[in-house]
Parts: sequence; C-alpha cells; structure tokens
Amino acid sequence: MRATRFTLEAVDWAPWLEPVAAETATPAQRTALAASPQADSAYFRTLANDVDSLAERSPLFHAVMYVPRGLKRAERELATVVTSIINGCIYCSSVHARRFVELTKRPEIIRALYEEGLDTPLEPRLRAVVDYAAKLTREPVAMTVADLAPLRAAGMDDLEIHDLTNAVAMFANANRLMQTLGEPVSPDSATSGTAA
Amino acid sequence: MAAPLPDLLESIIGVAPDSALSRLRAVRPDIVRHTQGSHDVLLSPADPGGLSLPERALIAARVAEASGHAALTRHYRSLLTERGKPPPDQRLDTIQQHVERVATAPGTARPAHIEALLACGLTARDIVALTQIVAFVSYQVRAAVGLGLLADGPAP
Repeated sequence: MRATRFTLEAVDWAPWLEPVAAETATPAQRTALAASPQADSAYFRTLANDVDSLAERSPLFHAVMYVPRGLKRAERELATVVTSIINGCIYCSSVHARRFVELTKRPEIIRALYEEGLDTPLEPRLRAVVDYAAKLTREPVAMTVADLAPLRAAGMDDLEIHDLTNAVAMFANANRLMQTLGEPVSPDSATSGTAA
Repeated sequence: MAAPLPDLLESIIGVAPDSALSRLRAVRPDIVRHTQGSHDVLLSPADPGGLSLPERALIAARVAEASGHAALTRHYRSLLTERGKPPPDQRLDTIQQHVERVATAPGTARPAHIEALLACGLTARDIVALTQIVAFVSYQVRAAVGLGLLADGPAP
C-alpha cells in the first residue's frame, strides 16, 4: 500500500520500472551500484538502468552528504528533511529524519516539523537552517544575500553555507527521482507486494 | 595532470579563478567534479540511447526556464539552438508533459505516466535518463543560486 504520511518509521520503496537485477548487471552497473549508498536497493538498481548518470550521481551524493568538516551531518540531514517535506517525498523524509534522530537523539524536532509545520518554534540556528532550506526549495530565484544573514548570525561560515546549499540542492534532485520512478510503500505491503 | 575542463557553474556565476569562492569550491573537489560530470553524461552522452541529444537539451532548457533561472536557461537554450529543436510529435508531447510534472509537481507522478512513456517507445534507460536530467537541473539551479549568494554577499 502506498505510504501517505510523513513518519519516523522505516518506509519501503517500490519501483515502477524494472530494476537492474544483480545477476544480470553489467560490470559498469556493478561498479556504479557498489559506489551507491545501498547497492542492493530497488531504487539504486532502477537508477542503474542509465549507468553513466548513476556513476556520477552516487559520488556526488556522497560528497554532499557525508564528506567531513563544514556543516555538521545532522544539519545536512535536517535540511534534506525540510526539502523532502515541501516536495512531499515521504520516503526521503523518513530515511533522513531517522538519520537526524540517530545523530542528535532529538526526535521531538522532527515530530514538531511534521505535526506543526515548518514554522514550529525552533532554536535560532535550526530556524535559520529550516528557513534557508525552505526558500531555496520553493523559490530559489527569489533569494537574495539577505537570506544569508540569519545563517551568519547563527555562526555559520561560508563552507557551512556552501554545504547547506548543496544538501538542499541534492534533495531537489533526490525527491524528483524517488517520487517519479516509484512510490513509498509501508513495509508490510511491500513484502506482500513482492510475493504477489 | 590534465588541465581542468571548463566548469559550467563557475562560468554561470562568474567565479574568478583564485577568488575566495573558487577556493571554497576547491575544498569540495568531488562536488565540483561530479556536478560537471553529471551534466556531461546527461546532456552529452557518448551513446544517447533512445533520448536524442536535441531532446536532452530541450528537457534541460524547459526545467531551467520553469525554475526562472536566467543564466541556466540561456545556457540550455543555446545548446538547444546548436542541436536543433526535435520535431514535434505525440512522443515529444508525452515527454514534455512528463518533464513538466517531474520538474514542478513530482508528487503527482503515477505508474500510468511511466506506462505512457514506455508506450511511446522509450526504454527503462531512456526514462531514467529523462528523470535524471530533470532532477539534475533542479539540483543545479539551487547550487547555482547558493553560489551566487556567496559571490554577491561574502562573509564580512
């Protein structure tokens, strides 16, 4: 069954195109999959149908989300959750909300964003992250240098702002792939769907 | 080491070599490399499969235009002019409708839209490539905007 609510629970993803099967993958597809966050997931195996773009995207995704220094990982994760909420990507927001909670032990922040909306009261630095992520997602060309002021007031340097920008941009990308090549499904129905 | 290829985002923003912003980007070499690399394999693949080079330029131009980003729109329109507009037909209509949906309302996509693309003769690879182009330009617009802000409003 299609999952329709933002959640901190795990969600599965069901493709609408035939994913590349591990047994029949070409050497190039195997290499690109091995460099992806989860080589055996249906999502990355679907993207492997166009192997050259996957081979560029996986290292890009890794560099944006996981490369050390600069913006803290938890804040990158938070920004991607904001982008995913706005774009309606239930799967992406579930994965990255859980990463944020693993890193911060603060599920109440995600619950507040889900239940009260992006305007829920937050401490100033998180508020600045949420506002920047939301505007860059919704109306990128309306942004001005004034939109940097709250980030700088919260103590962010240019590398952190650069990292925040790329995390938001990466999920403009991820949310579109994830929502148009397949759909989020609740874990039980995914199992029965596979068996059917 | 080979000379670096021209970097599209830096030319779009007007980042001077050895400027503070250029040095900032150099801290994240994999982002620079694979952003340009994604552009290159999506817009100019050695083997375009069933999604032609003119169609790829048309898709990117439409996504840039829908976002309102003037410089990226100019870049992709000029690539489209260079390649020539693909001939209009029902297949191209179906592609364009899907591009619009993925770019502006991705949450409204349903399996029937994929089936419509398959019925027009697109393969799984072509559909993934089409989607990756829309997703990539959506990324690129926001990366360009953020870099532009840092260029225009450097840290005091």
